[in-house]
Amino acid sequence: MFQIYLPIAEIPVNILLILLLGLVTGFLAGMFGIGGGFLATPFLMFIGIPPAVAVSTSANQIIASSVSGLMVHLHKGTVDMKMGLFLVIGGFIGSTFGVSLFRILQKAGQIDLVIALVYVIFLGSISIMMLVDSIKTLSTKKYNIVWEKKDSDRFERFLAWIDQLPWQIHFPKSDITVSVIVPTVLSVGIGILVSLMGIGGGFMMIPAMIYILRMPSAVVVGTSLFQIIFIASNATFLQAITNNSVDIVLAFLMIISSSIGAQMGTRAGYKVDADNMRSFLALIIFLVCLKMFFSLFAAPEALYTVEVLKR
Amino acid sequence: MRILFAVFLLITSFLDLSTANASPIISGISTNEINIDTNFRGADILLFGAKGYTGNIVIAVRGPKKNFMITKKERFLGIWHNGERIKVKDLYSYYSLFSTFSDNAASAEILSMLELGKSNLKFNFSGEATDSKKNDFQIQLIDKFEKSKLYPTTSKIDFLDETLFKVMLHFPKNISRGIYTVEIYLINEDNLTSFQSIPIYVNQVGLSARILDFAYQESFLYGIITVILALVVGWLANYLFIRFIGK
Repeated sequence: MFQIYLPIAEIPVNILLILLLGLVTGFLAGMFGIGGGFLATPFLMFIGIPPAVAVSTSANQIIASSVSGLMVHLHKGTVDMKMGLFLVIGGFIGSTFGVSLFRILQKAGQIDLVIALVYVIFLGSISIMMLVDSIKTLSTKKYNIVWEKKDSDRFERFLAWIDQLPWQIHFPKSDITVSVIVPTVLSVGIGILVSLMGIGGGFMMIPAMIYILRMPSAVVVGTSLFQIIFIASNATFLQAITNNSVDIVLAFLMIISSSIGAQMGTRAGYKVDADNMRSFLALIIFLVCLKMFFSLFAAPEALYTVEVLKR
Repeated sequence: MRILFAVFLLITSFLDLSTANASPIISGISTNEINIDTNFRGADILLFGAKGYTGNIVIAVRGPKKNFMITKKERFLGIWHNGERIKVKDLYSYYSLFSTFSDNAASAEILSMLELGKSNLKFNFSGEATDSKKNDFQIQLIDKFEKSKLYPTTSKIDFLDETLFKVMLHFPKNISRGIYTVEIYLINEDNLTSFQSIPIYVNQVGLSARILDFAYQESFLYGIITVILALVVGWLANYLFIRFIGK
């Protein structure tokens, strides 16, 4: 009952489990406004989907989850197209490089390990930052403890350095003038993340747009969604043609369930205390990270493995 | 090549035996088609036959040749990862052997020439590795295949009387698709006196097999479809939700 065979992952899975997984990650994504890719990918790996397929299929799902958000922003006119264009250029370079790196690692048999390691490092640092942040916020709220803001002298110097980079261009929509090197370099990094981790990278792109590019927050989300659709599309397409690792059946199930989950999450987000939920999310990410960390040390079922090569 | 060689041996042995008897061996199988669908749990095929000659019967079933990657897990700083890897080219994805020989050594030469018996299979390792390492990997590979029933270990031929025999061929659920050959040899004192080959067609049926084929053969189109599907379904799901459930 409810078993479905995934053609590319080549394993049977429980369809209800996949739908539930999509619903949960979509719900969290809708509630916190982040892509949910960095929860979906590890969850897929936990239920036995090969890491390479989990990553590539997540990239496919990101396209779908970004589309509906973008429609809203296009309608409201809160997308900086010119900035988006430079982000897309960098993102194409990054994702193309990322997929090639993926191919090399897959050929060398190290892709699973690299995906796991990158996840442990990323999820670990994100969850710790989020936990510290929410502890600060909650303690301020409850006990009126005031945390001194660190003097961001170094960050100011970094911004000053950015401001004197060549190829300064004016972006009328955001009303900023910035060197084209900055958005391009930023999105190269995001492109690599999409290819290697199957995440949209919004949780990094949005702060970078606000603090480094100094874009007005009204256009940040729309522009981020705009660029990620192109980057994720490029990554998905390249994964499909070079690594054959996109599972269309799995992607379809995840897209349907996570879209519904995202809608529910967005509505629920209005009703709950955001600070409490944020620490809850940090805790989930931390637990996922721990599980991945310990699975690195788990003894394998067999010392030797044999796989049939398709080509 | 091997089959040509068998035919050649057969012709030469007929020339030897000027007093050749008619119909040295006749056999058939219950079906020569296996369809793998998503509920496939393996298949059994009955092989039966009669031999008119004296001699030993050897039956070999060979699956389509595939390339395999054998990987050894290693530990570094406590972390398990894929260590040494060796590729084996053009190896039978399925191999089983049944024989009436009580002692294989008796006709070792001809068995080896015809690649009869696991120890007579040719392992085509690609890349450089020492012989002892190749040997280790070969042992591990055969062990894996025996455990997963791709290289079954049973080898008994059932005789109903002096001439009639039957064999049950087991195919596990993880067999590769392709053309399998059942080869029936009659070997009398180092001479091949009869040879028959019967094909078995193993097909993969159903939607998931078609999707897999499409993803590999038309990967460009497949890639475009995955992207478009995500764009359309993502937009549609959102639209329907707002339309029918409300904001």
